[in-house]
This record gives sequence, structure tokens and C-alpha cells, in this order.
Amino acid sequence: MTGVGEVAAFWILATITVGSAVVVALVRDLVRAVVALVGSFLGVAGLFILLSAEFLAVVQVLIYAGAISILMVFAIALTPRSARDNAETAMRWLALALALAMVGLLIAVATVTEWGPQAKEGFQETASAIGEALLNRYVLPFEVASVLLLAAMLGAVVMVRED
Amino acid sequence: MRWDWSLLAPEYLLAGWAALMALLGLWGRLRAYWLGYVAAAGALASAATSLIWLGDRTAFGDLLAVDHYTTFFRVTFGLIAASVCLISAGYVERFLRHHGEYYAILVVSVIGATYMAAAQELLSAYIALELLSFSLYVLASYAKMDLRSNEGGLKYMLLGAFSSALFLYGLGLIYAVTKTTHYQGIAEALAGDLGGTKGLALLGLSLIVVGLGFKVSAVPFHMWAPDAYEGAPLPVTAFISAISKAAGFALFLKLMVQAFLPLHDDWSPLLASLATVTMLLGNLVAVHQRNIKRLLAYSSIGQVGYLLAGIAALSPETANAASAVLLHLAGYVISNLAAFACVTVYYNWTGKEDIYEYRGLAERAPFVALALSISLFSLAGMPLFAGFVTKFVLFQAIAEADLLWLAAVAVFASFVSLYYYLMVMRQMYLVEPETRERLGVAWPEYGLVAVLVVAIFVVGLGPQPLFNAAQEAASLVYQGAATFAALSP
Repeated sequence: MTGVGEVAAFWILATITVGSAVVVALVRDLVRAVVALVGSFLGVAGLFILLSAEFLAVVQVLIYAGAISILMVFAIALTPRSARDNAETAMRWLALALALAMVGLLIAVATVTEWGPQAKEGFQETASAIGEALLNRYVLPFEVASVLLLAAMLGAVVMVRED
Repeated sequence: MRWDWSLLAPEYLLAGWAALMALLGLWGRLRAYWLGYVAAAGALASAATSLIWLGDRTAFGDLLAVDHYTTFFRVTFGLIAASVCLISAGYVERFLRHHGEYYAILVVSVIGATYMAAAQELLSAYIALELLSFSLYVLASYAKMDLRSNEGGLKYMLLGAFSSALFLYGLGLIYAVTKTTHYQGIAEALAGDLGGTKGLALLGLSLIVVGLGFKVSAVPFHMWAPDAYEGAPLPVTAFISAISKAAGFALFLKLMVQAFLPLHDDWSPLLASLATVTMLLGNLVAVHQRNIKRLLAYSSIGQVGYLLAGIAALSPETANAASAVLLHLAGYVISNLAAFACVTVYYNWTGKEDIYEYRGLAERAPFVALALSISLFSLAGMPLFAGFVTKFVLFQAIAEADLLWLAAVAVFASFVSLYYYLMVMRQMYLVEPETRERLGVAWPEYGLVAVLVVAIFVVGLGPQPLFNAAQEAASLVYQGAATFAALSP
């Protein structure tokens, strides 16, 4: 990162991401927590763009901010009212300790590891590179994925069909 | 790079057959019974087609190898699927709905299993693993009006998704260290100077081991297995116990030999300790089981322990342990399928699956009682039966790899297993039956059981052909890994 604009953008996005995550943990109403989570996901997508990983950013918006959060809203809507409260539990100090330990581990790994030279340069044209790899070199896994989706679809139809 | 699409013909056949099964299921005039036979024919045809490449050593690009190892597993998986289709024929018609889709998903899952064995790089291996897992989640919860099936299927799916995530995270770390997804490239990178990234590589490797440990139900990652086994429809339990183990170990073995052999000294103790707890816990807990499906679930966990011990005994010098693992895998699959075929036949008659309900079976259905005893003896590893030869070769390979203590634990665990297998036989032969009324005869299932029992004796008395096949398959995996041997210090 070089320019002032990039540094400013990083701090703004980091504030949005971490701030929303803190709201998720603190707010009592689960639906509000999910909305805050969407903010956190969007912040991460912004960080991906800063790292010039555009494809990952778009996927992040589509899958996390879009699909996963909708799935969570459905899950909350279908749970009984009593279980919808983001209430205090006896485990919260343990959870806090675990989360802090995880943060410490990730920071340690990121700083101690001697990353190769490629990791320090930016990527070029990620979307087209991924598309080409998928349809040329890795076309077989790509095709197997379609078989996988067929099996999953058949299974889903059988599972939810009324009879 | 060669992209010879004709090398994948057996899988085209399977995919086409799956579509055919789904369509045939819609044709109301065809009896559900016949669907099982049609599906079995497709699986057998795919196994036969794969024999075209017997002895070849080619590859589909750098993604899949088509060699002895692949052919060995294509045939194994084809035969497993065909046997399970035959076991299913009577059961599915009576107890399940949506027959066409059942067989379609069953046939499709074989593609995933095959590519797990054939893959030469991590992306293909991962997507194949997911294809197999997804199919098995659906099949495990196929009896959707049965609460136990729902519970088992849900536990299987949640823990399966969790383990896939761990596996994928491990793959990501390995990629970060080696900058390639190809087994050979990974081995070359790991054999070189890792500098500060060795810890990262070991973390990735441990996550991969944990992820695969979940898939093959190694202790302490086995908690899903007994519930999934008990809840799943019986033929599906047979299928999970055979194919998820066989495919899991096909991938595990190849990954360890071709990609991670340079780190052998680091992972061998880890796998040896996993193997120890798996063998001991699986076999000791099995003693307390009352339900035959749970008994077979814990016994298969015990068998996973022996196979893990074989993987721990892999060495850079010889392929002995690898071929012993393949041999024992084949022996276990045959014996276990025979046992499940007998249990399914009995369930079709009576709807009972508790061990004490088997009392006096020898008088009511002597053939089933005899065949079940033979397969249980084989699982225990008694002489004359397949299990003895395969266990003998496996334990010998473990002992030769300077893991004598591990072989001793395996022998002890085998004695424990003999105890609970004998308890089932005691019920069948020594306890008076409830009624003396003879149970009927189920000819198609009897035919399959007879074939499997003959196979148990053939492997037990003349193991040479299977042994040779396993050895050739294993040596090819090593030759693939030979390129880095010159590189490693």
C-alpha cells in the first residue's frame, strides 16, 4: 500500500468490518446481529478490492453478504421465539478468551511466516485468470462440480417432496 | 500435456447410468425390484470397462492418473456399488420411496470415489471427496419418515461439512507453503528447504489428517459414525462402511506417499497414536453394543485403526506397507459387505436388528447364520478366512517398519474383536430360538451372499492374485513419488 487514499480506505474499511463484528457480538436481537454481520461481510469485500482480488470481492458479496445472511434470517425466522435472543451465557468469557487466542494465533502466523515474494506483489486480472484456469487446465474438476450439483439437487428434491 | 477424454469412459458410463436410473424410476410399470439389478449391471459394466487400461500407465493431463492404482479402485468401487445395489433390491422396494433417485445417487457417488483414488492434485481430489460425501449424506437420511434416519443423516452432514472445511483449510495452508496443488510438486517443495514455513506446512498437514480422519471415522473424530450407521437404511450403512472407508484410504494413502513422504518423520508418530486409540476404542466399545448395526459400526472403526497403523508404517524405502493397506482394505470390504448382506436379509424377513433377536437363527435360516458367522470370523481375522491373510500381511508390514508395539496393540485389539463377534455367533447357534418356524428363502440375496462367501475363502486360501494386484498398484504410487527421492537429502 502506498498512496494516502489507499491507507485511508484501508482504515475506513477496517473500522466498518471490525465495528460491525463487535455489534454482532453485543446486540441482543438476532435479526439486528445478522444485519450488522452483512456490514462486516461488505467491509471484508472492500478489503479484498484493496488487495486487488476483485473476483474474491464479488464472490464475497454474492455468497456471504447475499446468500449466507439470507439463510441466517430464514434460520432465525424458523426458530422458536425463546431461542431468538442473543442472551448472555455462562460461556461468554470462555468465548472471549478463545476469540482472543485465535486473533493472537492469526497475527502470529501472519507475522512470523516468511511469505514468498509472490505474496508481496499484487495480483493481476484475477477474474480472467480464474476463468481461464477453470475452463482449460481445471476443466475436469469444473465438470465434476456439475455432477455434484446434480446429485445435490436430486437429493434435495427427494428430501423435501411431500408424500 | 495429453487430454485424452476417452480415459474417463467408465465414469461417463456411470453418469449416464445414473440419469437412466432416475428416468426408469418414473416408469411406473417397472417393478422397483428390477431397478436394483439394472443399477448393479451399470456398476459392473463400469468396472469391466476400466479393465481396458489394465497395465497401462497414462494420465488425464496432470489431473488424474489412469494406472494400476486407479484400475484397482475402479474395480473395487464398481463391485462395492454392484453388491450394494443387489443388497438394496429387496430392502428399498419394501421400506423406502423414490427408488429411481436412490439408485441414481448411489451410482453417481462411485464417480466421486473413483476420482478420489485417481486424483493427482488437490483440487480434483477435493471436489471428488465432496461428490462422494454429498451423495452419502442424502442416502443416509433417505428414510425420511424415520426419526433415527433424520438424526443420523443430519449429524453426518454437519460433521461432514465441518471436516470438509478443516480439510480445505489444510489444503489452503499447504498451497501457501508449496505454491502448487500437484502432489509431485508438493513433495518436491517439502523436500527442499522450507525455512520458516515448516510449521505452517505441519499445521496444514495436521488439518488434512483431521479432515480425512472424520471422513474415515478415526477416533477421536468418529462420533458421527455409530448414529449415522444406526439411522441409515441398512444397505446404505453397508455402502457407507465400504465405500467411504475404501475411497478415504485410497486418497489418504496416495496423498501421504506422493505428497507428504518428505515429512514422514513428523506425521508417522501422529498417525501411530491415532491408530492406537482408534483400534482400542473401536473394539472395546463394540463389546457393549446391543444393536447389530452399531456393533458393525464400532467394528469398522476398529478396522480403520488397523489401516491407519498401516499408513503410519509407510516408509520411503519400500512399498510393503502400502500394498498391505490395499490388501486389507479389499479383505475388509468383502467381509463387511457379506456381513451386511446377511443382516439385511434378516431385517427384510423380521424387521429386527438387535443382537439378541438373532437367537437361534441357525435353526431358522441355517444358510444366513453360517454366512454371517463366516464373514464375522473373517472380520476377526481367523485362519482360513480372508481376514487372516490380509491382517497377517498388514501386521507384518507394521512390525517391519519398527513399529512392533503398534503391531502388538493391533493383535490385542483383534482378540477383543473376536470376543464380540463370538457373542453374535453364540446367539445364533447356542441360544434357543423363539419359534422354530423356518424363515423363507431370498434367492437373489442368497446368490450375492454365496459369491461374497466364496470370495472370502478364495482370498483366504489363495491370496496371491489379489496380493499381486495390490502390490502392483502400490508400487506404481511409489514410482510416481520416486522423482523426489533423488531430491530429498
